[in-house]
Formats: sequence, C-alpha cells, structure tokens
Amino acid sequence: MKQLIQATIAILVVSALLMYAADAMSAGGGKSGKDTLTIFNWGEYIDPDLLKQFEKETGIHVIYETFDSNEAMMTKIQQGGTAYDIAVPSEYMIEKMKEEDLLIPLDKTKIPNIKNIDPYFLDLPFDDNNKYSVPYFWGTVGIVYNPSLVGDLDFSSWEDLWDSSLKRKVFLVDGAREVIGMGLNSLGYSLNSLEDSELRQATDKLITLAPNVKAIIGDEITPLMINNEAAVALTWSGQAADMMYENEELDFAVPEEGSNLWFDNMVIPKTSKNIDGAHAFINFMLDADSSAANADYVGYSTPNTAAMDLMDEEVVTDERYYPSEEQRDTLEVYKNLGPDYLGKYNELFLEFKMSIR
Amino acid sequence: MTKLSTSAKVYLAMVFIVLYAPIFYLVFYSFNSGGSMNSFESFTLEHYKAVFEDSRLLVILINTVIVALLSALISTIIGTLGAIGIVTVKDAKMRNTLLSLNNVLIVSPDVIIGASFLILFTMVGIKLGFASVLLAHVAFSVPIVVLMVLPKLLEMNKSLIDAALDLGATKKDIMMRVILPYIQPGIFAGFFLALTYSLDDFAVTFFVTGNGFSTLSVEIYSMARAGISLTVNAISGLVFFVTVFVVIGYYFITSRASKRTEGQQ
Repeated sequence: MKQLIQATIAILVVSALLMYAADAMSAGGGKSGKDTLTIFNWGEYIDPDLLKQFEKETGIHVIYETFDSNEAMMTKIQQGGTAYDIAVPSEYMIEKMKEEDLLIPLDKTKIPNIKNIDPYFLDLPFDDNNKYSVPYFWGTVGIVYNPSLVGDLDFSSWEDLWDSSLKRKVFLVDGAREVIGMGLNSLGYSLNSLEDSELRQATDKLITLAPNVKAIIGDEITPLMINNEAAVALTWSGQAADMMYENEELDFAVPEEGSNLWFDNMVIPKTSKNIDGAHAFINFMLDADSSAANADYVGYSTPNTAAMDLMDEEVVTDERYYPSEEQRDTLEVYKNLGPDYLGKYNELFLEFKMSIR
Repeated sequence: MTKLSTSAKVYLAMVFIVLYAPIFYLVFYSFNSGGSMNSFESFTLEHYKAVFEDSRLLVILINTVIVALLSALISTIIGTLGAIGIVTVKDAKMRNTLLSLNNVLIVSPDVIIGASFLILFTMVGIKLGFASVLLAHVAFSVPIVVLMVLPKLLEMNKSLIDAALDLGATKKDIMMRVILPYIQPGIFAGFFLALTYSLDDFAVTFFVTGNGFSTLSVEIYSMARAGISLTVNAISGLVFFVTVFVVIGYYFITSRASKRTEGQQ
C-alpha cells in the first residue's frame, strides 16, 4: 500500500516538474496572449525561421500544427474544436471546402504582395478570381527514375513506362486521379475526362502496364528510390525533389503528352479568430524574401516570380521543377469531377489494381 | 524451470533479433553524419543536438510524457476500482457481460475510437488540446488496466477476506491491507501497459489534438511525409533508451517487492 502511494506521489511530482519545464520552454518562443495565430500546414512544409521572423515583426504568437492528408485536415476544421486561422489544402480540397462553406473570402487589399505571384497561377478553375485562396507551392506529376537502371529511356513520353525492359520495376503512387490521369494523358486525353469511352481505353491501356508494375504505394516510395531499390516511380515533383536531394543519381521527367499541375494554397477557414493576423501572415508569406527563403528550405516550386529573382539561378531555370512555357501548356489542374465520376475513377483504379499479380 | 534445448535457444534468439533489429538499425543511423540512412559515414551527435535545440520538438516530447504518466495514473485508479467492482458482481451472467463490454473497447479500432472522441468533445464543447488528449488516453487505457488487474483478483483466495473479517477488519482495512497489497503487481503491470499504450498511440491522439498541443507520434507521422530525417531517428532513439530505463526500473520495483514478501513469509 505504501508503495502504491509513493508511486502515485512520484508520478504527480514528475508530471508537475515536466509541465513546469514545458511551460518555461514554450514561453521562450514568444509571450502567449490574445494575439495568436494558429496555422495548420503539412509536415515539414515551412522554414521555421520564417515563423520566428513573423512573430518578431508583428508580435503575433504563432501556434503551428501539422497534418498529413487533405482529408484529415478538412475533418478537423469541419469539427471545429481548434480555431485554425490558416490552412494549406490542395486545390481539389479547396473546392470541397468551398462547397461545405468552410472558408472566408480573402480581402485582397490586405494582401498587396499578391502582385508577386505569376498570373499563370492565379484565377484557376478551382477558385475563380482567387476569392478564397492564394498559391503556396506548386508542382507536377511525373516520373522519377534512376538512369543507370533503365538503359536509355528518358521518359519524355509516358510510353516509356510500357517498355518491356522495365518488367516489375515501376512503382506507382497510390492515387486514383494520378494513375488514371496518367493513363488518359498517355492516350492524349484530358486527365479530367468525363467520357466513358476514354476512361475505358485508359484503363485497358493501364492493364497492359501491369507486368511492369512492382507495387502501388504511398510515401514509402521515397526511401525505396533513395536506396536504389526501385528503378522508376510515378510521383509528385515535390516528392521527387526530396528523393533527388538524398540520391543525386536520380532524375525527374514530366512526359510531353501532358500531366497534372497541382497546388497547395493558403486559405482562411471559417473557424478563424484572428482574420487580420491571417491576412498579415499570407501577405508575409507572399513577400519575395520570405517566399524565396521558404522555397529554398522546402525545395518545392514557388509561384512567386519576385522570389524567383532572389533564388539560385540554377534552381529556377531547372525545367524539371519550373517547366518551360511550352510544357506548361500541356499541364492540367484537376477539376472537381463530382461524386459520380470520382467513384468511377476509383472503381477503374481498383480494376487496374486487381489486374496486377 | 527446465533447461532450454539448443534449438529452442536458437529460435528464441532469432525472435529477439527480428524484434530488435529495426530499432537498432534506426538508432545506429541516428549517429550518422551522412544525413541519410543510405550509408554510414562517421559518428556524430549532431542529430541529438538538433533535437535539444528544437524547443518545439522538446515541448512535444515532454507533453507526450506528461500525458502518458497522468493518463496511466488516472486510468490505473479507475481501472483497479473497476476490476474490483466487476469481481464483486455476484451474478455470473452480469459479470461476463461487463467483461465483454470491457473487451470490446480493447479490440475496437483506434480510428473509430478517435473519431468518436472528436465528435463527442466538439459536441460537448471541450476545447481540443491537453485535456481532450488526456481524457481520450484515460478512456482507452482503463479497459487494459481492468484486464491486467482482474487475474490477480480472481487468483486471490476468498478465505483471506473471511480471515480478515474474523480478525475484526473493517471494510476499509480489507481494501487497504488485504486486497490492494495482494493485487499490487497487477496494478503496476496495468500502469506500465497503459503508459506504453499512451506513449505510442497515434490514431486516437491524431483526432483529438489541437490548439498547439501535439504528441510525438502525431508529430513524427507528419514529419515522415517528407522522408524520415535523422532527427526522427535521434528522438526515437531517446525514447527507446528512456523506455529501457523505465523497464529496468520496473524490474527493480517488482523484484524488491517480491523479495520483501518472501522475507515476510
């Protein structure tokens, strides 16, 4: 009995001490007060120095939280519970959040730095006139490959994936839109196709790819490619950049037939309690200096032309991440297909998956 | 105990190697200066330094430990009382029903528990953060503690209580001097199991964190999206070492306790 009481007291004392320590440490990051800004972003998706700089410049205390999927992010915002002031969803999720009435329209007069953004990335179908969102980072879907393991294939065309020398060497990312979209692109169709016959053809074509497919997986592709355990993978340019940073042998290509152009964007959810602060933060992130620092740190492509002038010449002229105008014309942004066609894409993706043995 | 045969020893060794290899692999590379897990370049402590310099990560680590300690403590108290309650139920059918209800909570998927807590907390108006995480952890730990304490209670000879009553013990005496000391090993086992459950829980915690409060599992999961950096290795290594120390501490507590009871007998 004495032992039980001793143990209980010991645990309480240790917890109290730890709480004191945690409190002292987080106080070092800035005085917490009424003026706080809660940011909800992807993991490892911001230069932490920028948060400190923003706190210093504005006196607003930043609470920074991370999520790992658009769906999880939306669920937490929908449920309330935390008053997020800024979130960074991908484009298709913005359409959904608009439909659910979860977003606050932006006041452009408070975001003068929006002039830094390349007009090519503004006023896109998922958000007319950028009423609710401003671009944060962007990228493409393409093929990352190890030149020493694939012979003389350069993946300038999707057809190269079907090459017989790649038997069981191709990894695909586990996303219905990405994979079916690739099938459609390889036939020269739009990756937003709503034509049943085109979708059928694309799926049939994908099924002939099955012998080459080694696995359909998610983020695990990164370590596999880094360790040279796979030769070819269909993935997003941002992920490819991570892989190439770790393994310099790798190369990345966006096939000429066209591909997907994706965005992550800053939005202000309805739950926001500090709308002025949120606008200030968006404006701060669109500033040329902070955008450049952020792009350097994160390694994704920035839509900020003013920032590109400040960045390493070699990076911003790298057509793998900043495609030429000519190639840009082949890229398409995902449109919201509506639940019927989304279901159809998923079904066809499943059919393709089942054809792999 | 009978001596193990050679094949049994080899088998046992294999099992342990398989269990521990990934952890040692991970910890080994946390000392790598190369910056990735491709090849080991040279020994460095920079990743551990990075952990200690990142005050955000440290606060999260401390939060994780606080939640684990407090939730384990609270759920141990609730669970122990619950187990005693279940045992005292006379009707066998009723007792089995209670036990089944307890077990259902253990086997239900974490994702569902997490989602339902999120819905409950937001409906009731509990602000997501420390309190919600603590409550959720207590809730999923209680059934485990019940399950750990129960065997000890069932194993206890009822005559002990009768004897104590004969000697004039009050209800309080029986609880404090007979039942609790007897089931103490079960209580400690329940506490430590609840502790580890709380430390590594991701799914439930993910749903109920908010307002800047986060735990290590949630943080590592979102960090891993950009590929596991060696800082993650270093912090995992730290957690592993701490766990080893806790287990050793637990071993000493129990062995001291059993020595003492042997001495009394």
